[in-house]
Amino acid sequence: MASQAGGPKDKLVDDEEVLQAVVLADSFNKRFRPLTTRKPRCLLPICNAPLLDWTFESLALAGVQEVFVICRSHADLVKEAIKESKWSKPGSGMKIVPIMTSKETYSPGDAMRDIYTRGLVSSDFILVMGDLVSNIRIDEVVRVHKERRKTNKDAIMTMVVKESGAEHRTRARGDSSIFVIDSETSECLHYESVTGFPATKSAKIPREIFAEHPEVEIRNDLIDCSIDVCSVEVPSLFQDNFDYGDIRRDFVHGVLTSDLLMKSIHLYVAQEGYAARVQDTRSYDSISKDILSRWTFPLVPDDNHPSGHNYELRRGNRYIAKDGSVVLARTCKIGANTLIGPSSTISENAQVTSSVIGQNCIIGAGTIIDNAYIFDNTIIGSNCKIQRSIVGSGCSIKENTQITKGSLIGDGVTIGPDVALSPFERLSAKRPSLKHTPTTDDSEDEDSDLEGIERDQESIKGSIDLGKDSNALVWPNGPPDEEDDPDDVENYRNQRFMRLGDDVSDILSSDAGSETSEEGTDSSHVETDSQYDGRSVSALSDASAPSDIHTFSDNAEREFRVEVKQSLDRAFAEGHSVDNAAVELKTLRMASNVSLTRVREAVIAAIVERIPLVDSGAVQQRKEIASVIGRWGPLIDKIGGVDAVETVCLLQAHCATSSRMPLFGQILAALYQDDIVDEDDIRKWHSLPASKGEGRKPSPEADSLKKCWVIGSHMIKQFDEQESEDDNSEEEGVAPTSRNIRKEGERDNDSSDDEQMLRSRIVSQQHTSSQSGEEDDDDDVSSPPPTDPLSSSSSENSGEDQSGAAKDSTEGSSDDGSEGSV
Amino acid sequence: MLEHSVGNTVRKVLHHIREEYQTATRGTAIATSPKAQFSIAKFVLQGQPRKQVTSAPKSEIRGTLKENDPDDPDSFARGLKPVLMEAIQDVLDELETVYDNVSKNAKDHIHSDEIILTLGMSRTVEAFLKTAAHHRNYTVIVAETAPSYEGRKMAKSLSSAGISTFLVPDSSIFALMSRVNKVILGAHATLANGGMFAITGSQIAATAARAHSTPVVVCAGQFKLTPLWNLYHDYAALDFGNPDEVLGFEEGHLVDKADVVNPYYDYVRPELIDAYITNDGDHPPSSIYRLLKEAYDDEDTEL
Repeated sequence: MASQAGGPKDKLVDDEEVLQAVVLADSFNKRFRPLTTRKPRCLLPICNAPLLDWTFESLALAGVQEVFVICRSHADLVKEAIKESKWSKPGSGMKIVPIMTSKETYSPGDAMRDIYTRGLVSSDFILVMGDLVSNIRIDEVVRVHKERRKTNKDAIMTMVVKESGAEHRTRARGDSSIFVIDSETSECLHYESVTGFPATKSAKIPREIFAEHPEVEIRNDLIDCSIDVCSVEVPSLFQDNFDYGDIRRDFVHGVLTSDLLMKSIHLYVAQEGYAARVQDTRSYDSISKDILSRWTFPLVPDDNHPSGHNYELRRGNRYIAKDGSVVLARTCKIGANTLIGPSSTISENAQVTSSVIGQNCIIGAGTIIDNAYIFDNTIIGSNCKIQRSIVGSGCSIKENTQITKGSLIGDGVTIGPDVALSPFERLSAKRPSLKHTPTTDDSEDEDSDLEGIERDQESIKGSIDLGKDSNALVWPNGPPDEEDDPDDVENYRNQRFMRLGDDVSDILSSDAGSETSEEGTDSSHVETDSQYDGRSVSALSDASAPSDIHTFSDNAEREFRVEVKQSLDRAFAEGHSVDNAAVELKTLRMASNVSLTRVREAVIAAIVERIPLVDSGAVQQRKEIASVIGRWGPLIDKIGGVDAVETVCLLQAHCATSSRMPLFGQILAALYQDDIVDEDDIRKWHSLPASKGEGRKPSPEADSLKKCWVIGSHMIKQFDEQESEDDNSEEEGVAPTSRNIRKEGERDNDSSDDEQMLRSRIVSQQHTSSQSGEEDDDDDVSSPPPTDPLSSSSSENSGEDQSGAAKDSTEGSSDDGSEGSV
Repeated sequence: MLEHSVGNTVRKVLHHIREEYQTATRGTAIATSPKAQFSIAKFVLQGQPRKQVTSAPKSEIRGTLKENDPDDPDSFARGLKPVLMEAIQDVLDELETVYDNVSKNAKDHIHSDEIILTLGMSRTVEAFLKTAAHHRNYTVIVAETAPSYEGRKMAKSLSSAGISTFLVPDSSIFALMSRVNKVILGAHATLANGGMFAITGSQIAATAARAHSTPVVVCAGQFKLTPLWNLYHDYAALDFGNPDEVLGFEEGHLVDKADVVNPYYDYVRPELIDAYITNDGDHPPSSIYRLLKEAYDDEDTEL
């Protein structure tokens, strides 16, 4: 009874809470330039209504009562637009407050910090971008979010995603994401952003996820709508982590990978409804088409048009303004999926297909407009051809002008007559007066670009003819000379995936070429990867060629390695405790956002390099190794997560490329001795095809890998023998042995049957493979006397397979021989 | 899309108000107008033939009311108010009893061992069929009516009422038509030309019935009578909804290549309909215009 009485009361309290939304009315990128030189992206019209109005409409549908609009660029224009929109009229039920942020707000993260410092939000709020088109019931998401918060205070955010299939036109190809979701709780377990270039071909999912969650979904078919229901902690988390820029790539990734934060983020996979962001010109095109083909129902031009226009729907999704002001010539052809704004005129024999024409436009006789977007007040002369382009407002396109695919014509541009633009041309109008002082202009940084283009106009323009009356500036096309950061989402080639009309066939085909050359090695590479990083997921259907594990194309990772090296050098030099060094490494890892594997790799590399090379004999050398490993070995396991198999792999990989190659066997033995790896791990490593260097092109590296592997074989053999005749091993004088027996005993107690079966299978595999490996190595064996006790012990111990053991010993000694020569 | 029934009820109420007003003010004048003047030749000019019939008796009772009485300016309103309330109550009563009245003659339309085809979930049709089941033993075939699948609800409701019911996919309507004795449809709006707007699929069902010369009967209350024509829709569909219901959004590669049309209603031409069963008796499509004339005033056609 008590709960029943409490129920409605709680509900009442919830209802009284004002549902707040924050709209980030800035894109923080320049994908729409030059259309966005004079107005912000959120005021660009889509289907003849500003994007911001579509966003407000979506929020109104969710019953949002208070909206904060964060404006940065052209803030005064946004403010003006909000003032004049229908939402500012009394009785709209929604209070819209424009918030001006400083020019120094360069990323959504900065905006979130601004929200925090201003203390705008008081409870759970909806965070959307100012370019959202949606009919999803966000209030339902808010309800689910609040419900979850009641039981789990750490669920700080719910992201709305829409199921779409991997190749949907509305799904961004240049900037999408892979989500790993717990099927049961719809918790987002892992986030990975996907870019078109450099093509993301694999996703790395931490192994722990699979251990902790019985059922997970890995999804690459979701449109990220950028609708987030956030709790109040979210802005403060941004405040705490000053380096968070992007909400997805930094914040979500940061929260999910953090070992300290213990917060969780959930997903809401919208089954019904439509939501998408106009994040680039390509999605502008596809979302326009979605609106015209009524996916956004009930937000369609003939019903609930955000700008209040009235359109009449005719057969085949043709929308003609209803007030009778549209003049359609008798001979003009209006194709399917077309919208024609009020007071526009289509002249004789003009053809308009799959396009949007704004208000007060005049389309000349015989002009063909195909898949193009013409903003308000634009006049297009006769016999022009405009394909897959966006023409800004107030433009004047003179007769016989050809505008081919992907062109963006800024507001107020005049071009023609009789010119043909090349594809993907971007034009903007010259500023009327060049005298104004940029320092007083509040959109300073916007203009700096424009000025640069004005300055370089002669060189950019070259031989492009824009007609005699043209006032246009040509924007540079093609890749910039020096790329700031090739891994940034905004890099030139990735931007091409976001460009209207670009089929990026050249980028894709060049990829396909490189893939075929590697085809033979693909499978083994995938396995290498999976062994290192948990699991490898084929992210794009057309490719699965993961990059070589040992090469770091990544700038950030290279930087990170240097940092780790320095930090460890410091630790070595100043004699820090292992715990302190581990804390330092953890912090470093979080700051540079790299996987655990990379940290481990760096640590192992540093430790191995730390071991001094001693010329005065193997015993002395072993002592050195033992002291270094004894002092620093535990660090390998302290950095977070224990994965001994990986440790051995990384050690092998490092040794193969380093001058300390000959020490591999001894280091491994030392690690074994210090309990950092145990026998099973070595066996597991040994059985991995990648550790043998399989699938690699013949190279010195591969040879070294193989040598390491052979050393491993000796150890395994030794283990086997110790297992079969455990009392014999005492006299060998090899340190690991006594410990080994103890460990065997322990393991027998707790190891299950199938584990043993697995082990025996591995062992049998090793026998066959090691023999085949020997034959390869036979040629280059020179046999100085065996000095390594490890190999000598194995030769002494080989009771059952004399000949094989003999060969083993010679090989082992060949390694020692090379050690001597160093 | 305007909800036609709302407009129709408004028209009806307006009509009643006008009628009462005219009776109150010019009652005597109308009463004196000789009945002989009513002729076919003047029919169109005269408009509402029914008004003249009904107004005469009422004028005798309330002919005394006068507008703008200098002594008591409120007297007219006071006098008229109860009459208007009564008239509006009549409209309400009519709406409340509409299903019963439509189905009161159900047993005359459905005979024993007949096979009836219907689609969608029309409450009028549901009531009609259930009433008929009290007197007759017959079989109903319900088409699923994609994409709303309202037919499933209908089938469930009918079978729970003890009627032998089959639920079939829409695609088999034509194949089954040869065995069907009668098609009974619901209407979203009955149009002035005798056609109607009805749930998607009605058009194909009616066309299939025509091919087999199966009678098509429409059950609809009078409030669905709409004084409009289907002039603005050049093909037999309207109220286009979200294509999501037809082609899932997740069919990414198809979305770009296919234009999906998802109309909620079909327009069914009067030639395909044999009879309307209303709460005011049964009518052929060709006399719908006459019902309209009686029910609404001409000036309310454009609201």
